[in-house]
Amino acid sequence: MTADSGTAPADFDYLVQPHRVHRRIYTDPQIFELEMTRVFAASWCYVGHESEIPAPGDFRTTTLGLRPVLMTRGRDGAVNVLLNRCTHRGTVLAAEASGCAKRFVCPYHGWTFAPDGQLVAIPFPADHAVEDHSTLSLGRLATATYRGFVFATLNAEPEPLDCWLGEAREAFDAIVDRHPGGDIAVMGSPHLLEFVGNWKLSWDNAADGLHATFAHESYNTLGEMVDTETVLARDPGTTPMVSKALRNGHMVVDQRPGIPQGPWATMRRVPYREPLENALIDAGDESLLDLATGSMINLSLFPNLLFVGNQLLVIEPVAVDRTRLQLWLTSAPGAPPEIDLLRLRVDEDFVNFGTPDDLDMFERVQRGLSIPEMEWIDMSRGLPDSAAPDGDATIYGPITSEAPQRRYLAHYAKLMTTPTATRAL
Amino acid sequence: MTVAAARPPGGPGAEMPAAQAAVLARYDELAALLAGMDDRPGADPGLTAEAAPVLLHEARLLDAGRFEDWLEGWTSDAVLWLPLSAQAHPGTDQSLLLDDRRRLAERVDWRREPSAWGQHPPSRTTRVVGSIEAWAAADGLVARSSLLIDEYRHGRHQALAGYQIHELVGDGLRRRTKILVVPALGTGVRNPSFLL
Ligand code: FES
Ligand SMILES: [Fe+2]
Repeated sequence: MTADSGTAPADFDYLVQPHRVHRRIYTDPQIFELEMTRVFAASWCYVGHESEIPAPGDFRTTTLGLRPVLMTRGRDGAVNVLLNRCTHRGTVLAAEASGCAKRFVCPYHGWTFAPDGQLVAIPFPADHAVEDHSTLSLGRLATATYRGFVFATLNAEPEPLDCWLGEAREAFDAIVDRHPGGDIAVMGSPHLLEFVGNWKLSWDNAADGLHATFAHESYNTLGEMVDTETVLARDPGTTPMVSKALRNGHMVVDQRPGIPQGPWATMRRVPYREPLENALIDAGDESLLDLATGSMINLSLFPNLLFVGNQLLVIEPVAVDRTRLQLWLTSAPGAPPEIDLLRLRVDEDFVNFGTPDDLDMFERVQRGLSIPEMEWIDMSRGLPDSAAPDGDATIYGPITSEAPQRRYLAHYAKLMTTPTATRAL
Repeated sequence: MTVAAARPPGGPGAEMPAAQAAVLARYDELAALLAGMDDRPGADPGLTAEAAPVLLHEARLLDAGRFEDWLEGWTSDAVLWLPLSAQAHPGTDQSLLLDDRRRLAERVDWRREPSAWGQHPPSRTTRVVGSIEAWAAADGLVARSSLLIDEYRHGRHQALAGYQIHELVGDGLRRRTKILVVPALGTGVRNPSFLL
């Protein structure tokens, strides 16, 4: 079953130009509707992490391009990503954010599904015309994992996940491998923050190295008050931090070259820092303290996953001018417990004193973009783009360059002009 | 389950340092206060009458933006905790915030920073405190109250509801603990930086 009409509602060569983009891609409900299929259904999207569903029957719900989906652990231990929709009349099966269920029983007429999506029982089967239940399994998405991170797509012919990740795997591996044993897990109960703005505003911001100086001025001022140079307080014009625009719209801001003292030195005091920090130092584990704050690599996997600090930021479009951000905290099961205890307080720091700036900018931009007479958003900083010296697909630049924004938007425009068949397996 | 109990036996270092054990004990105390609230018996009428003006005064200070005055009303070992659900534990679950006295002061400084864009221009809030109940506690009382809070900012408003638990101690009934539970945090709210 193909879900694409095959016609674009707009001329994307005009709307997305190398040096500027048109306001309509942030404000037009028809474009938003098409994005939910051509971007969110046709790309690989992050759904969740295997550590969230350790036992058979464990499940978690989310949305992919507005579609309710269900990530489950089957009886065979395999991870499934299913459409959270009863194949009888369409009822959403699992209404909870997460849980454990031996079977999913539809509350409407009692059809019963196994965690792998198989229809296992229909009440009063003798009355039912369909004998082959296998045609009535839950819709299934193509699913693949990388280092325990579960991705899924409705693309009828997806490229292999490894290829889709491409050069982004280098940063991905660095983020995972700094955890002892390469063991990273995701804690339950995300922060859920909404803003009145288009989902791409958070994408424009994700590799924006310039805004830290202005939008996050108050965060840096709080740092100065206690003689701490926060990671955002560096001069973006001279810092050796690097931004990279990768294939498929992925982006990296590598802050490590700009903080030779290491991540922990950029961190202000947080509640209960000292007793936990001292316990690690006394145990000879001082070198592990960097784990309590982020990797200092901001990796963005288009279209819905950002690694920021020790959090996973999942971008969930709600409407053309409404976006929900899921903020999940990762843990380090192989590290002493003090690390996760510190992480809890450390990640509150930016959520409370930094994220409100970003949310406010997104809402201000969306309001400004409502003006029909002002059509364009300038994206020209750092042009012309130069390719990497070794000729790979990556474009490098200083963190003030808008190359990552240009590159992801070019990828976006390509997706939006490519009729791609999407289907549930 | 407590964090202290969840710690693997014989972890790094033989015995947990006392300062660290105190942190975990405080976390467990917060989680227990929250988890046990629904099982409490009917309130003490006298203590409820004592708690009411303190809670109403706090709401008035916050609505008026008198954060420095509000800060005065906390003990030195104070904790303000905004969990993401009523089942949360501060040592195992993300919270919107868990502030000690130092970070509370920092939060007040932040509210005064003209470039703290998330609160400049500031939210204008109206709090309605109701259903107050209080019980005796060591050196004071524990109160539970319902809270309606309407926020107006940038030409939009949002109304949130929840409940708050206060541990008020000493002669001045100063705030040693405040837990604010806002169920909507589990479904997605706009810029919640006005919540205190
Ligand atoms: S809609 Fe699910 S059983 Fe009828
Ligand atoms: Fe930011």
